[in-house]
Amino acid sequence: MINRIIRQIQRYKGWFGGAAAICIFLGLYIGLLASPPDYYQGELVRIMYVHVPLAHTSTLAYSVLFFGSIWYLWKRDPLVDNMCQASASICALFTSLALITGSIWAKPTWNTWWTWDPRLVSFTVLLLILGGYIMLRRLVDDRVQGGRYAAILAIVGGIDLPIIKFSVEWWRTLHQPMSFSTRGVSISEDILVPLTLMSIGCWLLFAYMVMVRTQILYLTDLLHAKKGRFLSQTHFSQTTP
Amino acid sequence: MPFFKTIRWIVWKDLISEWRTRETMSSMLFFALIVILVFSFSFSMDQDAARQLIAGIIWVAFTFTGIIGLGKSFTSELQNDCLESLQMSPAPKGAIYLGKVAANFLFMLSVEILLFPLFVLFFNLDVIEAVGTLLIIFFLATLGLSAVGTLFSALTVQIRAREVMLPVLLLPLAVPVMIAAVEATRGALSGDPFSFYSQWIQLLTIFDIIFTVVSFWLFEFILDS
Amino acid sequence: MIAIQVSNLSKAYGFYRIFEDLSFDIYPGECFALFGPNGAGKTTLLRILSTLQAPSHGQFTIFGQNGVSQKEAVREIIMLIAHGSHLYDELSATENLQFALGLRGQSPAPSQIKRALDRTGIGPFADLKIRQFSAGMKKRLDFAKTILAQPQLLLLDEPYNALDHAGVVITNQLIQETLNRAGTVFMTTHDRDKATQIATRGGILKGGHLQLLSPEQLATDAVF
Repeated sequence: MINRIIRQIQRYKGWFGGAAAICIFLGLYIGLLASPPDYYQGELVRIMYVHVPLAHTSTLAYSVLFFGSIWYLWKRDPLVDNMCQASASICALFTSLALITGSIWAKPTWNTWWTWDPRLVSFTVLLLILGGYIMLRRLVDDRVQGGRYAAILAIVGGIDLPIIKFSVEWWRTLHQPMSFSTRGVSISEDILVPLTLMSIGCWLLFAYMVMVRTQILYLTDLLHAKKGRFLSQTHFSQTTP
Repeated sequence: MPFFKTIRWIVWKDLISEWRTRETMSSMLFFALIVILVFSFSFSMDQDAARQLIAGIIWVAFTFTGIIGLGKSFTSELQNDCLESLQMSPAPKGAIYLGKVAANFLFMLSVEILLFPLFVLFFNLDVIEAVGTLLIIFFLATLGLSAVGTLFSALTVQIRAREVMLPVLLLPLAVPVMIAAVEATRGALSGDPFSFYSQWIQLLTIFDIIFTVVSFWLFEFILDS
Repeated sequence: MIAIQVSNLSKAYGFYRIFEDLSFDIYPGECFALFGPNGAGKTTLLRILSTLQAPSHGQFTIFGQNGVSQKEAVREIIMLIAHGSHLYDELSATENLQFALGLRGQSPAPSQIKRALDRTGIGPFADLKIRQFSAGMKKRLDFAKTILAQPQLLLLDEPYNALDHAGVVITNQLIQETLNRAGTVFMTTHDRDKATQIATRGGILKGGHLQLLSPEQLATDAVF
């Protein structure tokens, strides 16, 4: 009865979770404690070890949502729909964290909580699109119709996001000097190791969270199905002559 | 099923219905007027400041006004369950989409052309040389808003809180149109040489092409189960 | 060719099963009346056959075309008259007909439109806006639409609601005309008296299952 893939998720998700925990723990240890402070930015660079992987993972999460939505419109597999819904909320989480950590880094560095940096703005718009996606799913009563509409939104959003990024970049070059740049971190040996560890850790964490949430959504739907079946059997037996 | 005839019928139907009541257009114009007035009170501006901000104010007014028109585009199909008849119609759904985009585009563009002289008046703009370019900008930006807006108007018409959801979903996606329209308008109004802001016109054109095609393709999934 | 062929059709609404494993055949020239208590799923079944909703399981064909994978082809040969009149308030009766038929790829001559309106008794109101029509008049206009469109399958959702006696007479006349030109009619209804005047076959949808009725059973009260 339970989907084969869900069975595999139940079996293997622990591995992802464990691997994620190890990578993140190691990455944080090296990044926050063991590695030397950056020549220019001092201790502050340590936030990069969290911010950059979060941002990458958010992009990965949206890609999953985008391709999953295309797949869903094509094949209409309800498990894929569950996965899309899971990816969207987790992507929103990672995006928010990326924005917050970015903001925390920005304040001491540029003395401002917010700047119209293209990537920052793109991520904010991404968060707005995801917010719309989550609201949309809540407001549609019919699950199947909601899945379809949400997939449409995710696809349009996915095509739009690169265009948004370009337009904000062009706009920025006109209005603000390029001295502010999140690309200010120079990549040296010491930084690479914890950064890679954290990136892989965040990806694994994302995979783990998506698996868990997809499983929850799938089982919830299954429960509704069983409840519905039970109720309809009552309905059938009461009204059959 | 005839493709272009369908587009023609949809446009005809929307234009005639609107002409007979003038409901949508008058609410759009009225709303835009209020927006313009509120902006002029909120920013006490001299000539130079006006020149900086006016492009943004124009496009905020046009966009929010446009959203009203876009919303009505499909809520008008809810009367007598007409949406159901569109769903069941053997006419190609892409043609229905294009018909609706064309009708929305015409409404929005008409409102913009009617409103723009008011902007010129209120904010003392100097626009004689730029009129042609401005028309091109209005045309392209409105087409982009229509293309995506019609898709989402159809999408939100059957869900709860539809009046809120349309701007919530549409505005983030319309960011490139807004940025490009504002920058291009600002360039045209300041009398900059065309090459300064032609990139924005290119962006608008590319946006229009991409999203008309994408929405045309996705529209079918909205009406059909 | 079988007009409607349904095999193992099931529909679940949010996982609540409305009906399951429905199978029946309807032949051209038949008028099938579907009865059943409120909430039994008659309208749902009708909407599935109209391609407005997809079934959860099973399939159906309309004149050989699959109702799910060949929706567009099916939509060309069917017409639905439902609760909503599918009419635009700001357009006149004539304009509404032109629009509806235009979307079906037909362009009837003004004389044909006039004739259809006269037949359904709303000839004098041809240029009146729908906003000023009563519910009964809207129903008649819907029938004028079918006269012009001549669909092979006509689907009716509780057609006798909101009709006065004259309206019922016209409805049954028009159903008969459809049957006479080898069209097929499928209707859902509560009105046994009115429906049995015209229906050739019937069925009761109850408890998620369909019980088919023979013409004799239709005529008697016993089953209902």
